[in-house]
Amino acid sequence: MRNRSLVVLTSLLLLALGLGVTSCARKAKQTPPTQTTAPTPAPTPPPVPAPPPTPEPTTPAPAAFTASDLQPAFFALDSYVLDDAARGALDSDAKMLRDHADLKVVIEGHCDERGTDEYNQALGEKRAQAARDYLVNAGIQTARLSIISYGKERPFDPGHDEAAWSKNRRAHFTAK
Amino acid sequence: MRSPRAGISPSLVAAALALSCVAPAFAQSPSDVRIDLQSGQAKRIRVHCESLRPTGDRDAAKGSAQADEVLANDLDASAVFTTSRSWVAGSSAADVQAFVGGEWNVSGKSVRLVGEVLDAPARRSILKKEYRGTASDWRSLVHAFADDVVLQFSGEAGVASTKLAFVVQSGRSKELYVMDADGYAPHPLTADRSIALSPSWSPDGSLILFTSYRGGTGPQVFVMSAGGGRVFAISTRAGNNTSASYSPDGREIACTLSLDGNPEIYLLDARGGGPRRLTNQRAIDTSPSWSPTGREIAFTSDRGGAPQVYVMDREGGNVRRLTYQVSYTDSPVWSPKGDRIAFVARTGSGFDIWVCKADGTDAHPVVTGFSNENPHWSPDGRHLVYAGNRDGPWSLYVTDLDDRPPRKIDTGGLQALSPAWSPRMAAPGFMGANSNR
Repeated sequence: MRNRSLVVLTSLLLLALGLGVTSCARKAKQTPPTQTTAPTPAPTPPPVPAPPPTPEPTTPAPAAFTASDLQPAFFALDSYVLDDAARGALDSDAKMLRDHADLKVVIEGHCDERGTDEYNQALGEKRAQAARDYLVNAGIQTARLSIISYGKERPFDPGHDEAAWSKNRRAHFTAK
Repeated sequence: MRSPRAGISPSLVAAALALSCVAPAFAQSPSDVRIDLQSGQAKRIRVHCESLRPTGDRDAAKGSAQADEVLANDLDASAVFTTSRSWVAGSSAADVQAFVGGEWNVSGKSVRLVGEVLDAPARRSILKKEYRGTASDWRSLVHAFADDVVLQFSGEAGVASTKLAFVVQSGRSKELYVMDADGYAPHPLTADRSIALSPSWSPDGSLILFTSYRGGTGPQVFVMSAGGGRVFAISTRAGNNTSASYSPDGREIACTLSLDGNPEIYLLDARGGGPRRLTNQRAIDTSPSWSPTGREIAFTSDRGGAPQVYVMDREGGNVRRLTYQVSYTDSPVWSPKGDRIAFVARTGSGFDIWVCKADGTDAHPVVTGFSNENPHWSPDGRHLVYAGNRDGPWSLYVTDLDDRPPRKIDTGGLQALSPAWSPRMAAPGFMGANSNR
């Protein structure tokens, strides 16, 4: 994957420059890298370039990590059931949340435009609840997770076709 | 209707009777069914609008010409009449059943309308009534007369004097708006750049309940004066607070809350306290709509899989699915007469508007094509207002439930959604007392 090799190259370059790079390699799995040019304080000992680093519990949480790095869970039409892909995303999110124990997040529930506004407010809440309950079962404290439903009011994609709708049926994460 | 008076032409009486006496006498729950005027089944009465005679100040003619248009539009929009207009070239008064006209008197800042209806062809007066007001409020005089003309012919006043609350989308925000029922003077009640949804009027027309994200933690229920001003919280409980509406007596509020962890329908007192839960399902229950007696509530639930409209009594018992004819139904609204329920049916990418009897029978589509959402009855049950996108951006439309195509309400390019038709307001103080000869 081009992005991947780009990241590896960039990481090596940064390492060669003696700058500390924390969890870029992990992040590269989900999202194209947003390169931080600002030098982050170099942790001791300097990280090994081996992918993906499993941070020890004593290591301070990398500063660059935010709620928006968590993967959204997507849903089928009219459904608030977590399918395999959604559970996979949430498994990864649960791990991230365990690794960043100070992070509190809001889980936003969203719908595509094909329901009525009031029904979608309820449906969005059920989606956010489904994601929250899954994370709680995975060991994340309820107190770190709050939910809000936006129904169909905040689509990711304003389009009017399945490509857009499938992006809009989601539970996604923002910082609390 | 009022008792026919001597001198009214037989054809006029026949037309009025035909309109007012088509009363469906089905009754599955007698207490909840009142006589309804069956729109779409009675033929519209042909009336000829004649220019009001301007008197008084020199510039009275300018105002009277505007009043002519507003009056004729009101009568046409009533669904009781079809109009011809004397000031339109080539218009003909042939075959009309009545003439509508009168006098438009302007004196400084005072306006006096003497409205008159004459039978045809004899031109004998069958209604004459005076309305007084200020020049700035002249439209309300015209609307009041139009509503009285509808009353004279159909037995029930028209709704030209009512208002519409709705929501305007601008970028990512939705603000609450109000305008006259004919689309005049849309103006915002909120300007908080949040998301307002689901407006609903108090039974006396003084307050508007609505859902808003203005609190920052999710959808919550607020109330404000229909004239604008401060916004008061009604329900800001944990989770969703949505879909609120006053009971017909104004003492309670039905709404959807998820304070127990799941969207359920609750009753609150009028200030938002004392929640009482009516539904108890792991499914979604939302969008409650009161029957006009306040004894029953229609609502949406996906307890059977896809969302469907159900009806329950006001204690939450006796739940039954409304109709089995459509695979996906939502947004029930009980007609003000109690005999019918309008709802939306999903078509794939959008919704059609359907109407059925309160027992679920006789379900049929009334507005189809593109998407049509949030239907809401006029207080006389002759019209449904709804939000549609057939012309591109979301706009408000009114169907008269007869063979006329729905009419778009001109809101000057605003993206309008979620309409709610006001009840009839208390009679304004300006109304002249003298009536009918």
